[in-house]
Amino acid sequence: MKQEAIEQMEGYADIVREIDIAVKYGEDFSGEKGTVQQFINRLHPKRLNMTVSEVIEETPSTKTFRLVNPEGPLPPFQAGQYVSLSIEVDSIKTSRAYSIASAPSETGYFDLTVRRMEKGLVSNHLLDHVRAGDSLIISGPQGTFHHNPIIHDDTLVLLGGGCGITPLMSMVRDTIQSGLQRTLYLIYGNRSGDDMIYHKELVQMAEKHANFNYIPVLEQPDAGYQGKTGYITGELIKDIIGDIEGKSFFICGPQAMYNFCLPELKKLGVPKRKIRKEMFGTPINIWEYPGWPEAVKPHQVCTITVNGENKLEAVASESILVTLEKNGLVIPTICRSGECSLCRVKIMSGKVYQPQGTLVRKSDRHFGYVHSCVTYPLEDVDILL
Amino acid sequence: MSDYDVIVIGAGNGGLMAAARLAKKGVRVLVLERHNIPGGCATSFCRGRFEFEVALHQLSGLGTEGYQGPLWRMLASVDAIDKLDFVTMTDLYRLQLSGTDLDITLRPDRQQLVADLQAKFPHEKEGIQKFIDFSYAYFGEAIGAYYMQDPDAGPDKYPLYFKYALKSAQDVLNEYFKDPLLKFVIAPYWSYIGVPPSLMSFHDLVSVIVGYCEFKPSHIKGGSQALSNAVVDTIIQNSGTIRFSNGVKKIIVKGGVVQGVITEKGEEITSRIVISNASKISTFVDMMDSKDVPAEVTREMRQISIAQGALVLYMGLDCPPEAVDIKESTNFVFGTDDYDRAYQQMKNLEVTNEDMMLMSCYNLVDPGFSPEGTSQVAVVTLKYGDTWLQVPPSQYAAKKYECADVILNRLAEFYPNLRDHIEEIEIATPITSMRYLGTQRGSIYAYDHFIKNSDHFVRNQTHIKGLHGVGGWFGMIGFQPTLTSGVVAAKNVLKELN
Repeated sequence: MKQEAIEQMEGYADIVREIDIAVKYGEDFSGEKGTVQQFINRLHPKRLNMTVSEVIEETPSTKTFRLVNPEGPLPPFQAGQYVSLSIEVDSIKTSRAYSIASAPSETGYFDLTVRRMEKGLVSNHLLDHVRAGDSLIISGPQGTFHHNPIIHDDTLVLLGGGCGITPLMSMVRDTIQSGLQRTLYLIYGNRSGDDMIYHKELVQMAEKHANFNYIPVLEQPDAGYQGKTGYITGELIKDIIGDIEGKSFFICGPQAMYNFCLPELKKLGVPKRKIRKEMFGTPINIWEYPGWPEAVKPHQVCTITVNGENKLEAVASESILVTLEKNGLVIPTICRSGECSLCRVKIMSGKVYQPQGTLVRKSDRHFGYVHSCVTYPLEDVDILL
Repeated sequence: MSDYDVIVIGAGNGGLMAAARLAKKGVRVLVLERHNIPGGCATSFCRGRFEFEVALHQLSGLGTEGYQGPLWRMLASVDAIDKLDFVTMTDLYRLQLSGTDLDITLRPDRQQLVADLQAKFPHEKEGIQKFIDFSYAYFGEAIGAYYMQDPDAGPDKYPLYFKYALKSAQDVLNEYFKDPLLKFVIAPYWSYIGVPPSLMSFHDLVSVIVGYCEFKPSHIKGGSQALSNAVVDTIIQNSGTIRFSNGVKKIIVKGGVVQGVITEKGEEITSRIVISNASKISTFVDMMDSKDVPAEVTREMRQISIAQGALVLYMGLDCPPEAVDIKESTNFVFGTDDYDRAYQQMKNLEVTNEDMMLMSCYNLVDPGFSPEGTSQVAVVTLKYGDTWLQVPPSQYAAKKYECADVILNRLAEFYPNLRDHIEEIEIATPITSMRYLGTQRGSIYAYDHFIKNSDHFVRNQTHIKGLHGVGGWFGMIGFQPTLTSGVVAAKNVLKELN
């Protein structure tokens, strides 16, 4: 409205007086420069430049990298959360998500425990080349795989498989070190005794603390092994924990473990809301997943065209994200499990495969957006970054 | 030649709408968004089998295909109508007051509203009819004088508007009603604006009520993310460019004229026009050198104060809404019938029995809003962000859980079984909105909408050639107003470009 008209509104003069006072005594926001980012960095930094203070050999194939922050305090996290590690290996800039294995009460460092994966680009590099004193870049802590007192019980049943133990280890350490009023059952499945990570520490903690029960389960035990064997069945769980009432379940391990254990929990009558499942990285054998078209061979070659310009050679069994990274196109990533949506891209044309359970928003599906970390080209595709 | 004709900072409602309108006119437009996803507030996030709506509660101004509201036409102009499905809500709100048996549900219909209020407050029968008639008469004048910007506007032509527009809502309610409970029942929408009836304008309250009665509150299938994605689609189809994970660090200004921007990655991109969808403080304090900020802007910024953020409980329930007695899609629960007290509570960190709560559940109007047999519920309690900044990082998570616990205990008075059915819960605080919106103190309502900060007095001009502002920080808050701000900015930009 015109100023002359506004001045004719009833009450105008009073408001102008009020404004004069407000201007005189009002806040000068020039002090706010940069404050939002500074504040958020205390809780959710995007990037932390860490130093490896120690490398601890856990098993023949597993090491723990203890990371300290030379630039200031570490952000807080909840036991079970992970960080994304950004790294360049063989001129490929990529990232991997690793759970923090240390307890939140250890405010001086984050422990990342890494197992060697067959042909694993990053795990092999970390285990073979990274030493104390080296620098590593990580994201701030992320993820929803943690105890939430609003919905979770104080008795936790932790089901871990192989190196899926790491977030659960943080929960165990948290309970013990902070003296939390919780009861824990850690049921830890492995192929053989050699694969068990943290075994000694877990045995010792269980001996000392009545509220922590440690139950290793081996598929192929060595002679003389006295513990539980086979798979983590519903029956085995029930034998250990008794009644399922008042207990919350946390499960972290390879896909095969979810395929087996989740139905077992369902059989026991555990409601969905009592089960929390961690995402666990990119599948290594995507062509064996339900819904993968039989006609497409894992090594089928195709072209990914990016923003109508770059043409990249791709294979069906490698995610779009990996192809981008191999070609030097770095896009933001955190979870690499289809959950966080940071690596979201738009498919303009061409067929792709996405495994079931990827957390893509409804309208993203409608408008052709995918999470590139778990999306595979089944033919030539055009994408928009 | 500049890299682009127009650069839009931020893909919120205002930024996207402006970009889409410009792209459709053949303008070379670039949208730069810090996040990986468009929408700003108009977004969603996934947890387990749920996709949570972040910010949209009751979309105003849409109407229906047969009775199109201003928002319908606006969305049609950017080809978004055909890409979206809408649902009309059947309730204005259900209102309950802790510790009392007050429980009333009002419907978005003029006659029905009068009838329901009269049934509940028979002793104020006449006043109710007069108040609603008066509100409509006032709003009719406001359309001409204010929304349509009649150049001949004056007290003779629009007597009601000129007399009442700057009055407080409370003053007008006092004029018509005696029963304090009736005034309480009519005014819970003050929480959509952020300041109580005694401090907000009658205009703001009445425009919400009349607006909803006329065009009905709506919900979008797929949530507000669907809206954001639909507008982005139009931008892309019209050769506009949108870059995600690309924040802007600086707006380049030389001699009071915009030259372009520098991104967080250090890239310099030139354009004669920049439209900022960032907060006003971010625009002028974070992204600009203080020497480039005009004195008028500095003065206007001292006039405003930063509004509330919110505590929001986003919950996925493993049962349908009926199983936990949720009967309406919009439910206000107040702990006191004194709105001034409820407002003062928003300044405290702790949640008390006097804090307001707004519980929305869209499954009642859109059963497909969450997987079959489940429901999604959002509970909002407004809180100024200042106190949250004082919480030490190490205590932050514990504080969130503590607040959520109080909110759920209070809800248990009306929804006793709700807590036992929570499958997923995410708790957002003012710090969360600070993180995702980049607003100072996590404000979701921009600045306090006291009468003195209405747009007759905060003009939201940038006083920098080529710089335009959109979104809640440069006008009114809410979906319809911020989308409208994009339309207005696009119109002004087109004038400037020609």
